[in-house]
Amino acid sequence: MADTNAVNSQAEPQVTMRESSQTIPESSDENEPVFIDPDLEFIQTLRKRGVDTYKKCMQCGTCSATCEISPDFEPFPRKEMSWASWGMKERLMADPDVWLCYHCNDCSTQCPRGANPGDTLAVIRQESIQHWAFPRFLARWVNEPQSILLLLGIPTALLLLALALKVPIEEALGIIPRMGDRIVYPYSSVFPHWLLISFFLFFSFLSLGLGMIGIGRFWRAMKKAFPPDRYAAPGKGLFQSTLVTLKNIFTHDDFAKCNKSFSRTWSHMSVFFGFTALSLVALWIITGRINPFMQGDFVYPFSFLSPWKILANVGGIALLVGIGLMIVDRFKIKEETSIGNYFDWMLIATILLIVITGYATEALHYYRLEPHRHLAYFVHLVLVLGLILYLPYSKLAHMFFRTTALIYAEYSGRKAELSKTEIAIQENAEQNTDQSTTEPQAAAAKAANS
Amino acid sequence: MNANAKSILIIGGGIAGITAAVDAAEVGYQVILVEKEAYLGGRVMQMHRYFPKMCPPTCGFEINVRRIKQNPRITVHTLASVEEISGEPGNFKAKVKIDPRYVTGVHAIDDSIAEQLQSERPNDFNYAMENTKALYLPHDMAYPPMYVLDREILSDTDVERLKHICPADTIDMEMMAKTLEIEVGSVIIATGWKPYDTTNLDSLGGGQFQNVISNVMLERLIAPGGPTQGKIVRSSDDQKPGNIAFVQCAGSRDENHLAYCSAVCCMASLKHVRYIREQYESAKITVFYIDIRTIGREEKFYYDLLEDENVSFIKGKVAKINEDASTKNLILDVEDTVSGETLHQNFDMVVLATGMVPNGIDFELPIDLPVDDYGFLIGEASAEGIYSVGCAKRPCDVSRSTKDSTAAALKAIQQLNRGD
Repeated sequence: MADTNAVNSQAEPQVTMRESSQTIPESSDENEPVFIDPDLEFIQTLRKRGVDTYKKCMQCGTCSATCEISPDFEPFPRKEMSWASWGMKERLMADPDVWLCYHCNDCSTQCPRGANPGDTLAVIRQESIQHWAFPRFLARWVNEPQSILLLLGIPTALLLLALALKVPIEEALGIIPRMGDRIVYPYSSVFPHWLLISFFLFFSFLSLGLGMIGIGRFWRAMKKAFPPDRYAAPGKGLFQSTLVTLKNIFTHDDFAKCNKSFSRTWSHMSVFFGFTALSLVALWIITGRINPFMQGDFVYPFSFLSPWKILANVGGIALLVGIGLMIVDRFKIKEETSIGNYFDWMLIATILLIVITGYATEALHYYRLEPHRHLAYFVHLVLVLGLILYLPYSKLAHMFFRTTALIYAEYSGRKAELSKTEIAIQENAEQNTDQSTTEPQAAAAKAANS
Repeated sequence: MNANAKSILIIGGGIAGITAAVDAAEVGYQVILVEKEAYLGGRVMQMHRYFPKMCPPTCGFEINVRRIKQNPRITVHTLASVEEISGEPGNFKAKVKIDPRYVTGVHAIDDSIAEQLQSERPNDFNYAMENTKALYLPHDMAYPPMYVLDREILSDTDVERLKHICPADTIDMEMMAKTLEIEVGSVIIATGWKPYDTTNLDSLGGGQFQNVISNVMLERLIAPGGPTQGKIVRSSDDQKPGNIAFVQCAGSRDENHLAYCSAVCCMASLKHVRYIREQYESAKITVFYIDIRTIGREEKFYYDLLEDENVSFIKGKVAKINEDASTKNLILDVEDTVSGETLHQNFDMVVLATGMVPNGIDFELPIDLPVDDYGFLIGEASAEGIYSVGCAKRPCDVSRSTKDSTAAALKAIQQLNRGD
């Protein structure tokens, strides 16, 4: 494999990207020159988001070869670093690969230039969320520190409005607040269940709907820019891709493949399952009236010994522990982990405050402190509403985007490329062992294995 | 010529120091050449051949030795170091410490005596790939052509043995270090370089895997005076390697190691490729690189190799080297950035093209001089009357080094004449 490329490239006249990974995907001719129209604003935005190092990249490929979860075919993040430097925004926004990365930053540690590919991909993901989100101005607000008051004001105002309309609506609809015998020291005097359930359900569905618009755009962009026929490996059906991806998300299998992100895997798992537990409890309560298993009287708030209360408390602790680990991780050795930017800390702070206000409410309720418990509960509800409202725009939107990209990776065959890589490495290792069967040590090892 | 009363002190007896010494002495100036090793010639003597002409360093060195020998104005101190410099331009005082060689030079010694000793030491000249006896000639071409005794590792039995077998006055076990105080007019610093320590290169298996060697070690393997008498073999099984990888920028242009380019490693590896192709016609060689930096006329050296079917060039920095424990073969993980594919290739032997570290970082310079972030002397900013040359200043090859020296010799001479 003599390097004819090195000589040929000298002769090429203008800025052309010869690499197969750089050619326009629609183009059938690999050697067709690509016209690059750099998006300078995008280059500036990445800088503004906290990565001012990525232009130091000299395209040596250390990052791609270091990454333990990057496929052999068109590996990331070297090609993304080149696209970012060229300001090729459209391509990066449609790139499923940036979502295959779990930000262990092994590439950044090994990078000879301190170009920080790991953090660059994180910022590209952030931009991707803002790019596809609908409506986009909400995503912009989530990214701007100066809009923080606005972001807090919206859920506060919405909740206050709901509370103000409580009595008129109750009168108009003839809702009689249930103050049954077994309801002990309730919240419902201030926050009636019908109100919370309908209010939060409405905004949850709204968020989900808007989120779906965003990932719909993202899916079409991926399909256009990185069509399934780009990858030699076969893809799966859409249904199966979704199943495999969901399983992967629950087990954190891919996440755990980065050896370097051991603590990150555990912190994320903790937060993930904390959330899952709390969502289950919420779902149980919301469906209380129509849930056949919950007929008859039920006690609100749950007693401390109720299995649902226990599940909620365990979930809350898991969330707290996970978020705590995430914060510790960000302050650990600076070379190994990223300190995170505003977008990142915004989500961490929100979740942390939700857990803290949640437990504060629980404690104040336990000690029967009026009106403190209602105040704490109000703040808690505002934050939860904020989390739900900004779900399609905040870092939490990775729920939508990463899941979509992972499903697309299964569907298009990109993930199969990754497994192919693993097989190749394994075969290589096995081949080497086979060659050495004459060696007594290897023979002994084989005997021990069988 | 009153100026001749003052001498020029040259610190470092490698090719840069020698060149400055003969250049200044041959136009009539007194030179004191101080070398910390037991021999002159420095790193260049450890090379098998020079690029791009591929001539052995010994032929040029022989001429230089003759020029030194026949010139009474050059005083050479080996095993010596300059401990302190004080004073001002044109009027420096220097303390030179000379370590004992223990060999007097009154009578000749040969290997028949050294062979009888038991105590051994790592052969530094061959990068510790083999041992020598405690009484040793640093290398075949050593100048001064004198043995050295490593007194510290010499066992008590060997001390007794030496007393018996050596002719009287040949070896002086009681020899002490001595300090000279000299007055000089100007100083040339030619302290040179050392190879980057491969044990820092964890992910490339430096110092861990037997068949991963550095570029300077390869020079010794191919040299007739090397540990294998000129055969390139795997250290794990003494077999000849069928396919060999060169890892360019091993720890170079890398903020985690040496952030700079050492300027010579690309040409050095291309030279090594030629060595191997000459020795093993069927050997396959792959060079992994970020950029091949061959400038000016040297580019032809590279283009000629591009036509060799047995030599491949892959653009990509090697990120990781794993060893197959049973075969001791090496698997390189690298992205071919031209095709955009990660490769996991298997090799019998890997050569790490490591860069140059200025020697100055190991010892304190006898006088405060400005250095850059990496320990290279900032040449033009040096104190007046003190001039740095060659690799003490920045990584460079022999031809640039010697041009530096000639220029510095002239500056040093100008300084001597300035006072009048």
